[in-house]
Order: sequence, then C-alpha cells, then structure tokens
Amino acid sequence: MDTKWKNRKNAISFLIFFIGVSLVLGNTMDILQDLSGEAMPQYVQQLLVDDYQQSDTFRGYIADRLATFLAMATNSFGYSNYYSYRNGYNTAYEVAVLQQGTMEGVPPMTVSEAQYYGYNYDDYYYQYYNDYDEDYAGNYSDGKSPSLTDEQLAEQRKEIAQRYHDNIKRDQNLLYSILYDGKVLYTNAENLEADGSIIPSENYNFFLCFDDGKVQISKDGQELDIYGDGYYRDDSDWYVPGYRNFQVDKEMKRATVYMAVAKEPLFYREGPSYDSNYRAMDNALYWLHYELRHTRNRLFRNATYLAIGLALLFLSCFTRKSRREAKEKIAGFTGKLWLECKIVIWLFLVCLIFARCIAVGYDYSLWYDLLWAYEGNDFKTAGLYGSILLTQFPALCWSILFWGIYLTVNDRKYNKKVWRHSLTGKLYKTLLARELQQPISRKMAHRNRIAIGIALFHVLLLLFGVWLLLFVPLAILAKIVLILLVYLTAIIFLLAEYLVCAKNMETARDIEALSNRINDIRNGDYTSPGTDIPADSMENRFAGHDLEHIMNRLEDIRHGMAIAVDNQMKSERMKVELIANVSHDIKTPLTSIISYVQFLKEEEGLPDHVKDYVMILDEKSQRLKNMVQDVFAVSKAASGELPMHMETLDFGKLLRQTMADMEEQIANSKLTFRAEIPDTPVMILADGQRMYRVFQNLFQNAIQYSLDSSRVYVTLTADGTTAIASIKNTSHMELEKDKDFTERFTRGDQSRTDGGSGLGLSIAQSFTEACGGKFNMEIDADLFTVTVSFQIQ
Amino acid sequence: MSECILVVDDDRAIVKALGILLEGEGYEVLKAYDGLQALDILATRQVRLVLIDVMMPKLDGLSAVMRIREKQNIPIIVLSAKSEDTDKILGLSMGADDYVAKPFNPQELAARVKSQLRRYTLLGDIHAGNRADEIKNGRLLYRTDERVLYADGEAVRLTATETKIIDLLMRNLGRVFPAEEIYRRVWEEDAFASENTVMVHIRRIREKLELNPKEPEYLKVVWGIGYKMEKQEKCN
Repeated sequence: MDTKWKNRKNAISFLIFFIGVSLVLGNTMDILQDLSGEAMPQYVQQLLVDDYQQSDTFRGYIADRLATFLAMATNSFGYSNYYSYRNGYNTAYEVAVLQQGTMEGVPPMTVSEAQYYGYNYDDYYYQYYNDYDEDYAGNYSDGKSPSLTDEQLAEQRKEIAQRYHDNIKRDQNLLYSILYDGKVLYTNAENLEADGSIIPSENYNFFLCFDDGKVQISKDGQELDIYGDGYYRDDSDWYVPGYRNFQVDKEMKRATVYMAVAKEPLFYREGPSYDSNYRAMDNALYWLHYELRHTRNRLFRNATYLAIGLALLFLSCFTRKSRREAKEKIAGFTGKLWLECKIVIWLFLVCLIFARCIAVGYDYSLWYDLLWAYEGNDFKTAGLYGSILLTQFPALCWSILFWGIYLTVNDRKYNKKVWRHSLTGKLYKTLLARELQQPISRKMAHRNRIAIGIALFHVLLLLFGVWLLLFVPLAILAKIVLILLVYLTAIIFLLAEYLVCAKNMETARDIEALSNRINDIRNGDYTSPGTDIPADSMENRFAGHDLEHIMNRLEDIRHGMAIAVDNQMKSERMKVELIANVSHDIKTPLTSIISYVQFLKEEEGLPDHVKDYVMILDEKSQRLKNMVQDVFAVSKAASGELPMHMETLDFGKLLRQTMADMEEQIANSKLTFRAEIPDTPVMILADGQRMYRVFQNLFQNAIQYSLDSSRVYVTLTADGTTAIASIKNTSHMELEKDKDFTERFTRGDQSRTDGGSGLGLSIAQSFTEACGGKFNMEIDADLFTVTVSFQIQ
Repeated sequence: MSECILVVDDDRAIVKALGILLEGEGYEVLKAYDGLQALDILATRQVRLVLIDVMMPKLDGLSAVMRIREKQNIPIIVLSAKSEDTDKILGLSMGADDYVAKPFNPQELAARVKSQLRRYTLLGDIHAGNRADEIKNGRLLYRTDERVLYADGEAVRLTATETKIIDLLMRNLGRVFPAEEIYRRVWEEDAFASENTVMVHIRRIREKLELNPKEPEYLKVVWGIGYKMEKQEKCN
C-alpha cells in the first residue's frame, strides 16, 4: 500500500516534470518560429492589436497596389520596381513582358507567350536582375523596348492593365477607382461619386486618395499622418509618392486613385480552381487578415501553454526527490534495453530530423535556405543554422530531441556498464567461456568458437564468390537472383550457426553446473541444494533442459547418499558413546586388577611359577589399560570430537624432539634410525601434543614391526607449500598388499599376540587428519612407508 | 601418630586395595562407599586427606568435594575413570587438589598422597610467605641463593648441569625455551645436535621430581617448539 502510493507519487511527479518541460520547450519553439523572420517588437505589437490594417504587410500591399494603379492610369512602367509587381504575384508574367525589352537576345514576347513560358519566369528574372545595372542606363531609361515600337508597347501595356483589372476587380475587399485627367479608367466599385471617389459604406473603414502626387489616407474616419517631416526613410511606414524625396512626374500627377479597404476582408471566389482567372482572386487581404489573426491566436495559445508549462515546472521543483526515484526507475527500464536498440533509435531520430530539414519540399528545403542565406536575403534571425533550425523544426522535433538527450543522459548516469545490456555483449558472452571451469564445458565452448570461426570464414568465401560472379557474363536478373540467394544463404547459415552455438553453450553451462554439483557431492557436500542456494534454483535451472532428468537422478543419488551419510554419522556417534561408556566401565575393574596385581607382585615367598603368573597378569593388565585409553582416543578423534589446540610449530623440531623422547626405546631396539631433517624451521599449524602422539605411534610401529638390524629412515622435505615427513621401515614379516593398516585393530600379524593395541596407525591417521594434515601409507614389497604432510604456514 | 586418610569409592575392591596400599605406607585408612557416608565420617573424625571417586551413588564425588570445601581445607585427591582434560579441569576447579585418572598406578597414587600430605602438614604453615630468594611453583620450591630445588619440601639431588637447567627454567616459569637456547645458556657452547642432549637431561630431571615421569606435570615438552617449566596455578 505504502510503496504503491510512493510509486504513484513518483510517477506523478515525473509526469508533471515531463509535461512541464514539453510544454515549455514546444511552445517556446512555436513562438520563436512564429516571430522569426520579422522585426520583433513591431510585429508583436501588430499581432497584439487585432487590426490587420496596422501591419507592415498591409501597408506594403496598399503601396504596391497604388504603384500598380498609377502605372495602369498612366499606361507606363510606373515608379515602382519589379518588386512591387512581383508582390502582386499574378502580375509576374506581365512584368516579364514589360521588362523584356531590357534583355538582350531575348525575343519579344506577348503576355500569353510569357504565361506559357511562365515556369521560366525565374530564369528570366534572375538574368534580368543580373543585367539590370549595366543595361539600365542604356536601354531601359526611356522605358522602351528596343524591339517594340512605342505604339506596340503602349498597346501591350494597355492589355496588361486590362487583364490585371479583370483579374483583381472581383476581390471586393479592395475597392478602387483609377482616374486619369478626371476620367475614370478602371474601377471595381459599384457606386462612385461624381468626382470618381468611392462612396463610403459601413463595411469599409480605410480610404486612400491619391491626387496631385500626394496621398491622403483616412482610417475609421480619422486622417493619418503619412509623410511625417516630409522625407522618406527606410523606417517610414508608407512607401508612397508625395515625400519631398519621392515625387512622381507630371504625367502621374494627372492621375487620381481612390481606394477603399474592407474592415473585415471576405473570401471571394468564382469559377473552378483550375480556371486561370482563379489565380487572380488572390484574396490577398483576406489571407493577410486571416494569417495575422491566426498567428495571434496561436501566439496566445502558445503563451498560455507556456505559462502552464512554467507553472508545472515550478511545481516539480518541490517534488525533486520523488522525481529522482522516478528517474532511477526509468533508468532501470532503459538499462534493460539493448545498447544497439538505443543506437538505432538515435540514428532514426537524427535521420528524421535531417529528413525534415531536407525533404519538406523544394521551397522549404535546406538548400533553398542555404541559398537564401548566402544571397544575403532577408533573414532577420541571427545565423544561418539558427534560422534553419527555428524555421524548419517543428516543436515536436525539439521535444523529441530533448527527451532523447534527457533519457540518454539519465541512462548513462545510472547504468554504468553500457556493454552489459547489449547484443554484442550478449553474443560475446555466448561465445566466450570465461566462467566455465570444468574441462568438458570449456572444451565445448572452444569447439563452439571454432565452429563460429569456420562459419564466418565460409561466409567470407561465399561473398568473395559472389564478387567473382559479377564478372561472369550473365543476365543481370540472373545475377541479382544469384546474389540474393547467396546472401540469403549466408544469413540463414550464420543465424543457424549462432542458434546452434547458443544452444551448445547452454548445454555447456548445464554440464558445468552438473559437474560442479558432482564435484560438490564428491567433496562430501551432501547437503540439499536448498540449504545454501535458493530452493528452486537448482530445479529451475534445469527444468525443461536437456539434462533435467540426469540432474534429477543425481539429486536422487545425492539424497540417498545424504541419508546414508547421516545414518553413518548417527551410528558413528553412537559407537563413540558406546566406546566411551565401555572404556569407562572397563577402567573401574581394571583399577582393581592393576592394584591387586601390584600387591601380588610385592608379596614375598610366592613360588616361582606363581611369580611368573603374576608377571603375565601385570603385563596384560598394563596392555589392557593402554588399549582402553587408545580405543577411547581413536573413537573420539574419528568422530571429530577431539579438542584441538592448534599452534604454529616447527615440524623438524617436533620430529627431533619425539625421537629424542624415544631415544631409550630406539637405543634398546636393534634398529638404526637415519634422520634427514633440515635445520631451517618448517612451520606448520597443528596441535603439538597430538602430533607428538602421531609420531610416537609411528616410531613405535617402526620399532615393533621392523626387521632386526634394519634401518628406519625419517625424512622431512619442504617444497614451498607443503611439508612432508616420511618414515620408512622394512617389515620383518610379509605385508598384505591390500590391507588397510589404519583400520582399527588391524595389525601386521593376524594372531594378535604381540603387544600392539592395533590402534597405533589408526590413532596416527585420526590425529593427523584432525590437525588438518594428510596421512598416507604405502607398501612396496616389505618397505612400509608412512607420509604425513602439512601445509607450510 | 599415623595420619588418617579417608578413601571414598563405591567399588569396594578399589577401596580395599587403596586401604592395603596406604596402610602399607603407614597411614590410618577410613573407608566410605558413597558421598554422604564420607561427609558423615568427616564430621566425626579428624581426617588429613581425602581420596574420592567421582561417580558414586547418593552423592557424587564432585558435589561431596564442594561440601567438604565449605568446612575444611584438607587435601583432596579425586579419582576418576574420566580421563579427559575437561574432566580434570572441572575436578580441580571444584576444589580438588589433585586429579588421578583410573586406572592408576598404585605407587604413583601413594607418591601423590605423600606429596599432598607433606605440603599440607609441613610446608603449608612453615613457609607461608614467599621469600625474595625463593621461587615457588606447586610442589616445587627453588632457592636461588642456595641453587637447591625442593619437591614437597625435600631437596632434590641434581647434578651441576641439571641444576643449571632448573635454574634457567625456574627463573622463567612458563616460558618456552628451544633446545638450542637451553644448550647455549647451560653448556655455554654453540648448539649442535642439542635436541638429544637436552632431552636426556630433561628426562633425568623429570625422573627426580615428577610423580609420574611419563606424564610430567612440571617439566613439559612443547612439541615442535621447545621445553618449559609449567607454571602451576595452585601454588598457595
């Protein structure tokens, strides 16, 4: 419940952050995009005032129209340059005709011809524009074409004017009447005053009057100040004649133009859209109005979203902790993704962005932008790339880019090991066998590597063959089919090879686990797998695998062995207890026996044969005493209940001390002891008292069972890690080869009449092993060798 | 006047044997066959030493030892078939003065009884305090000025070399000396094949002062390291 709420909290906090950032980023970009390419402060101001007539574009439009109308009125080229015509774009062809006379080597063209070649207009235009400066003075100053007569030119211009009028007159957003010498030449207004001016109606709020070379404008019944101080400057609002530095000639002063502009432009259309006349109905004012209003609305919308986004971001400042947890969780999720997937996603993203830049369309292509930027044209945003990014990137792109980077950084922050979750890493792991220890699984992995190597070589050969195939004269189709076939084969081959290898590796790992388990069992780990590893892991590891049933059988064996060992341990413990009790029970009567035998020994005046009996009793009771003690010790040692006092001691010294301790016995025997013990200390960790007992027993064993006058060799060797003491003696009787002399109560002779308890070697072995050493015995003919080895400290 | 010794064991044969043994040594022997009987006898008779078995009916030996110790300070030797170190430690910490494992050598037991009695009657009162020139260790007392070793108050006859070894070991109770060092300091020569020589001397000294030379209590071998004079915890 608590964690659920916490998770939810984390998710919500991250969601807030996500939405906030996305909103801020997207809308900031949208706003920048809307405003880019414009003079910002004025533009924003114009956008904020809901009046399209106050925009720069509107003023430019009106000025252009005025220039065109004046040209129409005077049937001349007018004062304006090509640009103004171009802006009234349907007159582009006309411009070409008007200006064709200025282009050398270009044959004269009628309007319809120009229209026909319309698609070539740009070529004309550029050529013209480049030649403009040179030709202006010579050919163009008189405004005449060298190849057309004045009459022809006048005729052409009249035709253009008429066509133009026909094209635009149906757009009632702009009413106009064009007069020359007080006579109305063109008008699209239904009602005119007697002087040719347009009768105001309530739908129109903008009136312009050009008369006597000066312009008067009234908007909403108020007169506008157009000329200011009377000089035209770059920043002047109106590009119309009438400034002191912008006058029209006498001819134009005879023209009068009235214009009325609709307050709310409407959309006019007539005829099908494929009709050439349709182009004329550019509805420029309507679109201007529409564009401004929509931009404004969009701007407001964006601003609102931006505000919401900022508020959310502010809010997310307070949930930083849970956001971090969410980030960690996301990192955990992204960490599971293959590295290759991430790279592919990034490539895709980058491609997408560039594709958007390049392939949006001709006009908005990257190259177009580059060109324009190079030409020094009107980009008001700073920098080429800035302009490209801002104008071409949709806000979504920015958001995706941002979140892509964000997730990548987040991923890198929390997932340090990049390669762990990658396809390459996985492949690498599949084919490498670093963790495999068992020879068989290592061998399998090695074979796998060879197989993969051969497969790769094979594929290379195939590809080489394909390359050779290209030189064989064959039909192209056949070649393609062949190449495709070969590639397909290669891919299928590699895939199959990989799958087989992966499966093999799986089996190798299973075998590894299996042999590890066998090793464990061999080393005496009979515990159920449930005790040290999670209960189901061993079963699950093999569930459904090829080795499942083998593993199950092994488990059965292990289980059986565990039970057997358990039983044995139990019986061993019981045996020790029994021996302890028995030896204790024997000791008490033995005490009496020994005591009374002692008294008998001290008794005087006994017959000699009775004295002999007493001697035998004494001897045997002493032996019984030793045996009882030995039995007790060995049973305890074997059951691992012997208390140990481990200390670091010198192995060599221990041997020397023991031999010195037993010097008397050695001297009394007919044996020679040859000791070869290094003087340098050989330090081992053992219980000195117990080890003394071990070697005492071993020496006694040697003394007891050696051939008379033979030699006993005692050597100590140290090879850096282990110290090995060995005692070799020649047995005085034949040794049975397969007899285990460390078995309790085992003796060289079966009759058991000598003094040994039969426990000497057993005690030696038990004590050595209890001290952590190794006890070993070898019989080679009559040579009896015992080695005791310890780890050197 | 013969000293009175109380023998306690549920095995009558052993009690009888001990009786024969100790009477042979000239002591008066009182016999008890369980712990309670022993306590009764102790309440009525003047006893100088107690030999007591551990496993007995009615009241076991160790409990009896504790009850005795509440009233009397006489030497107590515990006899037991339990021969483990832990059993010995338990017995001694319960208040026993000595612990003899069954089956025991009668002569050794007699020696131990003698030793305990001597310490209790002769040394316990006479040499109450430690003199500066005396080193006391359990049954042993070494007079540094005279260079004489006493065991249970009797001077031990040692040769010159043995005295030197004892001098070294008694002055450094509990310290382990490698054979080479003993050789160097006693013989004042460089050690060469010292192990055997030192061992021979150690064994001879043991025979003179240990009650059971096969299981020495004082002169001990530290196997694989050297030799030492074991420091006895109970040295009055």
